[in-house]
Amino acid sequence: MITASKAKTDSKDRIFFFLSGILLLSIILYSYWISPLVTVAILTSSLRQSTPLALGALCGLICERSGVMNIGIEGQMLLAAFFGFLVNVWTGSLLLGVISGIAAGMLAGIIFALMTVSMKMDQIICGTIVNLLAAGLTGYFYPTGINATGKLKAYSFPFLSELPLVGPVLFRVSPIVFSTIILVFLVHFLLFFTQWGLRTRAVGEYPRAADTMGINANIVRFYNIIIGGFFAGLAGAFLSLEAVGVFERGMTNGRGFIALAVMIFGKWTPIGAWGAALLFGLALAVQTQLQFDQVLSIPHQFTGMLPYLITIIVLAIFIKRNRPPGSLGVPYEKK
Amino acid sequence: MIATIRSFIIPVGSVIFASLIGGIVLFLSGSDPIEAYAALLKGAFGSMTSITRTLVKATPLMMNGLAVAFAFKAGLFNIGTQGQFIFGAFAASVAGFFIQGVPPVFHIFLALIAGGIAGGVYGAFQGALKAYSGAHEVITGIMCNYIAINITDYLVNHPFRDTSPGNIVARTPLILETSYLPDIEGIPGGFLISLLSAVLVWWVLKHMVLGFEINTVGAGPDAARYSGMRVQRILLITMLISGTLAGLGGALEIQGVEHRFQPGFHTGLGFEGITIALLGRVHPFGIIPASVLIGAMKAGANMMQFSAGVESEIIDIIQALLLFFVTAEVFFKKMIPGMRWQKGEKLSLRAGWGGKV
Amino acid sequence: MHERTFRIIWIAITGFMIVFSPAENHAGCGEKTKFCIGLVTDVGVIDDKSFNQSSWEGVQQAKAELGAAIKYIETRDAKDYEQNIELFAENNYNVIVTVGFALGEATIRAAKKYQKIHFIGIDQFQGKPVKNLVGLVFREDIAGFKAGALAAMLSKTNIIAAVLATDMVPPVAAFNRGYEAGSRYINPDIKIISTFHPGGLDISFTDPEWGASTAGQAIDQGADVIFSAGGLTGNGGLIETATHKGKYCIGVDTDQWDTVPAARACLVSCAMKRISPSVIKLIKLAYKNQFPEGNYYGEVSLSSFHDFEGKIPQRIKNRLLEIDNNIQSGKIKIPDYE
Repeated sequence: MITASKAKTDSKDRIFFFLSGILLLSIILYSYWISPLVTVAILTSSLRQSTPLALGALCGLICERSGVMNIGIEGQMLLAAFFGFLVNVWTGSLLLGVISGIAAGMLAGIIFALMTVSMKMDQIICGTIVNLLAAGLTGYFYPTGINATGKLKAYSFPFLSELPLVGPVLFRVSPIVFSTIILVFLVHFLLFFTQWGLRTRAVGEYPRAADTMGINANIVRFYNIIIGGFFAGLAGAFLSLEAVGVFERGMTNGRGFIALAVMIFGKWTPIGAWGAALLFGLALAVQTQLQFDQVLSIPHQFTGMLPYLITIIVLAIFIKRNRPPGSLGVPYEKK
Repeated sequence: MIATIRSFIIPVGSVIFASLIGGIVLFLSGSDPIEAYAALLKGAFGSMTSITRTLVKATPLMMNGLAVAFAFKAGLFNIGTQGQFIFGAFAASVAGFFIQGVPPVFHIFLALIAGGIAGGVYGAFQGALKAYSGAHEVITGIMCNYIAINITDYLVNHPFRDTSPGNIVARTPLILETSYLPDIEGIPGGFLISLLSAVLVWWVLKHMVLGFEINTVGAGPDAARYSGMRVQRILLITMLISGTLAGLGGALEIQGVEHRFQPGFHTGLGFEGITIALLGRVHPFGIIPASVLIGAMKAGANMMQFSAGVESEIIDIIQALLLFFVTAEVFFKKMIPGMRWQKGEKLSLRAGWGGKV
Repeated sequence: MHERTFRIIWIAITGFMIVFSPAENHAGCGEKTKFCIGLVTDVGVIDDKSFNQSSWEGVQQAKAELGAAIKYIETRDAKDYEQNIELFAENNYNVIVTVGFALGEATIRAAKKYQKIHFIGIDQFQGKPVKNLVGLVFREDIAGFKAGALAAMLSKTNIIAAVLATDMVPPVAAFNRGYEAGSRYINPDIKIISTFHPGGLDISFTDPEWGASTAGQAIDQGADVIFSAGGLTGNGGLIETATHKGKYCIGVDTDQWDTVPAARACLVSCAMKRISPSVIKLIKLAYKNQFPEGNYYGEVSLSSFHDFEGKIPQRIKNRLLEIDNNIQSGKIKIPDYE
């Protein structure tokens, strides 16, 4: 009964997304025809601004698909941005910086996993602890007066970057922005077509059943949280090493929480979350463009609301109910 | 008797452990922990003014904590308290300078009501989205926070800007003195009202039918539905009350402390409300000491920075540790072996993203 | 873990708590031989590479020159302005510097309460003068005008951009007004694409990633000079511009050549408010008991071109000098505050 109605809404949703995708695409093509430079600028900007959100959402959904609610993404990102930057300053190597940023994200994941999985503490509390700890540690130990000298730069693919529209948008990009696109599809594949994915989803939906089939729910959760930390770490490294080039206190500015929204918006699927992140990034870029062009002389506070309003409207009118993984938020205890 | 002692051990032990580890962090980073904590205590409780300051700091924390906790009871994660708080603060300040010629006490209540209504309506909006369209309250809450900030920023910068000569800053005019909250025996009026709210919340949850319904919905909406409750209506009312608490907190802040609305003055209070609610174990009478404790830390942090040269971010670290120890009762169970622990004391919020409608 | 271990820890903590004893106040200000200067920052950090930092540098210089004792407090919560000022005042500091327009009201109140202390309010325009308080203000519009003129002369695409924190803050709004006027003065047809941070005042100065991506978006559509004003947000825009070849960026407040080295590849100049020299000057006046009241206008100027010194044609430099003279002689009129 449930599956039947679910299939029905699914196909309805597909049609809706298909149609709105075509609409969006034709708008983009039209605007590219009118003013190519501006269109490319907007798309590049939206891809870039969607990157930390998409990565954060990947972290969230890997945790949540196995039944662990992670609201500590913001903190994980902040820690990763901090350590990535510090290592970059100490060693002068951006690559080492990115790696240690990722490591910091995973380390924060381990702390989170110890609390949620091993100690079976409430997951919202654990997430809050991670956020507080990250804000405190990065603020308290922030060494004043250090300066980095550079950030990850864009790479142009030969030939591909010469293509119209897609060339400059997709193939003249910075490394983390580009790898995010690949990672989204990779995670999608892993989650839905591999044994790991099956186990993850089984644990997330109904850990007791998974347990009887010989899957240790807690171990799966533990590992998934750490894997999630990889993505949060990469998002943090993106902020301090690719997007900005320096670390500043509190520089995540709520992106970890928006990533959560993006994840729910995308119905806990990687591609869905990516789509939601892109939509959000597009809204951010469009509001900047509206200010640039001053076509409408409305105060920037109103154009600035655009991304948030769009999210609410789309959610309330078009997407409506989202069904989270069944065991979300409940620590699993063996009987 | 033993039960009372036990209920004190965890919080007191948590404070001790958190400050101990915080002290180690301070020591390792080259500060003198004793000097730092002494300064913190002096700044928080050293004089009558510092005690007042502690209570002033505790007030918005308590209101936001209550708002978050109240929603938790129905399985809702009200992450939107920040926006509700800001709308409440703004409405109270507008009522404070717009309404003229009413008797003082009356004016105080008018402004408070304005704040409560503004926050409540905004909360109910998010509740309605949740109940009737299924839009997730965490998403709408986060988005509504940003929207509230942008709307009030605009209103403060344009229609409601303080036009008195010499003012170059975006802010509303001062509210009239008739709407100021008085101090009673040195205790800020806002703090008393927040205490009263805590008792009221406890009463509603414990002794009213609505409270029972909210708890039932929180335990499982399906069960609630089968027993004939109108779940959607209850979710809406929960968010209305939760938002009202947050909005009232904003009003108290304006009428008791700031006396005018200034953008950027309330950053992060909503999220701190989550910490407080969790620290108080989602119980009104746990939230009171939790907010006084964190209020004291915030009030003392400046003194700590001034006389011990310690960055105030250390209190974030201590807060995280506090939250950890309060929740990780396993830790204390091992430590005090003679004590018997009841089963099922473990804190679980039940609120997932789930909160099925 | 064993019970005994826990018990030992327990006792250790108790011991620790007993040792707890209040520390003595070590400042010792208020004595005749000692000159103490305190600084209260706006919500933000002391090393913001912008106005908090340059104010503090001024105070540090006072330490070097006058042998003063100095200390700062970073404000975390905007509601603490008053408390933080009072921490210094209660400890008999001689001069208290408060940084940022947002502290204006708190500073006035404190100045009226503590009449023996000299207060310096940076970016705080004084409507009604208070005897022991001077507002250190700047004509940001003039600095912005010069920056705009420079930008318009450097631009080859005739598109220039401004990445700004917020229009709710008077100094930033003034910079922007001047920038637009200056660039139109050189080239009335120039296209200026400017943006304010879309979020609230609370994060508009501390969102470097927004500054960076906005600068990127502007460059991608042809802007070749970026004026980036607004704390950390602006710094993000500068560093982003530095990664694009052949683009120029203009910094703000201090000479960001020193504070944001990552932006050197594009940083042609900065619209400077000479905060440090003005602060030290006012402190010295306070030291000599010749403290002024009302408003003190600090100097504004463009910083030197550093690496771009040789690349900027003499024609542009001459034109800038001419503009400078015309502003001073009043030939060029820039809309004043409000």
